[in-house]
Amino acid sequence: MEINTASEAISFSQELEDEGAQFYQDLARRYTEGKEIFLSFAKENASNVVQVRRAYYGVISDAIEACFSFGGIDTDDYSIDSRLPKDIIYSDALRAAVAIEEKTVSFYSEAGEVSKSLMADVPRAFGIIVKKRDKRINRLRTLLKEGK
Amino acid sequence: MAILENPIKEVLELENYINGEWVSSESDQFSDVVNPATGKTIARTPMSTRKEVNAAIEAAKDSFPDWRRTTPLARVRCLFRLKELLEENFEELSRVQTIEHGKTIDESRGETRRGIEMVEVATGIPSLMMGYNLEDIATGIDEYVIYQPLGVCCHIAPYNFPFMVPLWFAPFAVATGNTIVIKPSPRDPISQVKLAELVDEAGFPPGVWNVVHGHKDVVSVLLEHPDIEAVTFVGSTKIGRDIIYKKCGETGKRVIAQCSAKNYMVVMPDCNVGRTIPALMTSFFGNTGQRCLAGGNLVIVGDSKFYNEFLDAVVDTTSRIRIGYGLDEATQMGPMQSIDGKERVLAYIEKGIEEGANLRLDGRQFSVRGDYPDRYFLGPTILEDVTTDMKVAKDEIFGPLMSVMRAKDLNEAIEMANGSDLGNAHAIFTSSGKDAREFQYRVQSGNVGINIGIVAPMAFFPFGGMKDSFFGVLHGQGRDVIRFFTESKVVIQRWL
Repeated sequence: MEINTASEAISFSQELEDEGAQFYQDLARRYTEGKEIFLSFAKENASNVVQVRRAYYGVISDAIEACFSFGGIDTDDYSIDSRLPKDIIYSDALRAAVAIEEKTVSFYSEAGEVSKSLMADVPRAFGIIVKKRDKRINRLRTLLKEGK
Repeated sequence: MAILENPIKEVLELENYINGEWVSSESDQFSDVVNPATGKTIARTPMSTRKEVNAAIEAAKDSFPDWRRTTPLARVRCLFRLKELLEENFEELSRVQTIEHGKTIDESRGETRRGIEMVEVATGIPSLMMGYNLEDIATGIDEYVIYQPLGVCCHIAPYNFPFMVPLWFAPFAVATGNTIVIKPSPRDPISQVKLAELVDEAGFPPGVWNVVHGHKDVVSVLLEHPDIEAVTFVGSTKIGRDIIYKKCGETGKRVIAQCSAKNYMVVMPDCNVGRTIPALMTSFFGNTGQRCLAGGNLVIVGDSKFYNEFLDAVVDTTSRIRIGYGLDEATQMGPMQSIDGKERVLAYIEKGIEEGANLRLDGRQFSVRGDYPDRYFLGPTILEDVTTDMKVAKDEIFGPLMSVMRAKDLNEAIEMANGSDLGNAHAIFTSSGKDAREFQYRVQSGNVGINIGIVAPMAFFPFGGMKDSFFGVLHGQGRDVIRFFTESKVVIQRWL
C-alpha cells in the first residue's frame, strides 16, 4: 500500500515495531538460551515507538509538508510477519530475525531519505533507529556464528 | 491505515464560559456546527445575546484588578499547567479540529503543536515584560520604563484555525496581566470550548479567560463596549479593514487585524525540484487552501523547457492528491469547511476560464476516498496562463485553486508580486543566495519565504503582514504582541 502522509508513516513504523516486538517475545519464549537478548530487543522496539512518536508530535506543524512527505513508499515492500513456524530450528529463527531487521532498516532508511528536510526531527529519529538496528543485526549474526 | 476514532459521540449543546462558569445561553438563535466530511451536525452553538456579551466583559473587568496584581510568575504558572494539559489532551484536541473544520489529522496535530508553542513562549513573560532603566539621567535622578497591562481585551477568531489562532493572542494577553473575551467562529467553535475546559482546569481565576459564542452581533457589542481596550482579529480584509480597524479607530481601541492574502510562490530554474513540489502542494492545497499563508499564484521563471517540465510535475503530483475524511490517515486534503466556501471557489474557476485562463487540472472532477457525501469536497484546480489583471490573480480565493503565471526573470516576478494590494507571505524557491537576497530585499510582504511554502513565523517571532493584509501597528506573536498588550509608563524619580 502506498503511503504519503506523516501520519501513515508514523503508524506504519509503530506496526513494524509492535510486530517485531511480538516476534522477539515469541523467540524469548521458545529459546531460553537467548531469552535475555530477545526480551531486550522487544523492549527496545517499544522505546523506538516512543522515540518516533515524540519526534513527530514535537515537530508536526501546519507549516511543514506532513501530508506530502513520504511520497509513494510502498509499505507492502516492508511488511513483516512475526509468526514463526512451530518446529523452526534456532538458527533458522535467527536468520528470520536478521531478515526482519534488514527489512525494517530498509523502511526507516527510505522513509528518512524521502522525508529529509521536509519533516525535520522525524528523519533524524529514523536514522537513530537505523543505527541501533545495524548493531542489532551484528549481534544476531554473532549469535548465528556462535551457534547459540 | 486506520480511520481514527471520532471523540465526539453525540451532538453537543455549546455553552458560554463566563466568569469561570459554563452558562447556557438564553438566546433562541442557534447555529449548527457541521462535520464537513460527513455532513452531519456535531454541535449547536448559540448566537449569544447582548446581555451575555456584556456579562463576559463585566466578568473580565471585575477580575482584572486582582489578576493584574498577581505576580507575573504566578500568572505564567497557570500557563505552565495549561501546557501540561494541552499535551495530555493533544490527540483529542487534534481530532476535534479535524471533525469540525475538515483538515487532515496531520494538519490538526500541526495546529495543536503550534498552539501549544504560543503558550510556551508566553511563559517567558517574567523576562519578556521587563522594562529598562538608566540611573543618574541627571545627578541623583533615575529614569525607567515599566510595562503594564491594558485591561480587558477581546479576540475575534477565524474559522480556518479554530484552535491555534486564539492562542496567538490569549496566552500573551493573560500572561501580561490582561483579561480576555474570546469569540470563536460559529462554524467551528468546539475547539475553543475544549480549550476553555482546560483553562478552567489549569486554575486561571474566574473571569480572566471568557468565551462567548455568536456572530456579527456579538462582534458589534465587543467593538462598541467602552471597557474593551484592545481587539485582535484574523479574517478577511473586507471585515478587518472596513469594520474592525475602522471601529477601533473611532473608539480608541488598540487593534491587530490580520487579513487577506494573495501569496506569490516564485520558482526559479535552479530550485531543488524534488523538495519544491511537496512544499508547493502544502502551500496551495494544505488546509484545502483555506489560509492566509496559502500559495495563490505560482510564478514559474525561466525558459519554456523548464516551465513545461516543472508544471507537468506539479500537475502530476496534484492530480494524485488523496481527498477524503481527515481522520483517515491516508487523506492529504480534506473538504472545504463550508458549502459557501466551495461555491466561491467554483465561481472563481468559472471566472478564470471566462477571463482566458487555461484549465489545466479541473478540481470539479474529483473522487473522495471512502463513503462520504461530496457536498463539501472539492478537488485541487490548476489554472494556467493566468495574468495579473485577472480576478483569479488578484483576489484571495481561499480554496484549492492554483493560478500559474510565467515570468521571464526574477525582476519581473518581483514586480508581479509587488503589484498586489496584499502583502502577507510571498516566497521564492531557488538555490541562489543572490536571488534569494534580492527577493527578500525588494518584495513587499510581511512574511518572506526562501524555499519555504508556508511562511509561518514561530511563536517567538512576530507574524508579519503589509499593505491590505494587515491593519494596526504591532503584529501578533513574538515581542510585538507583548508590546501590544502592555502600555509603557516612563517614571522619573528623585529621592530628596
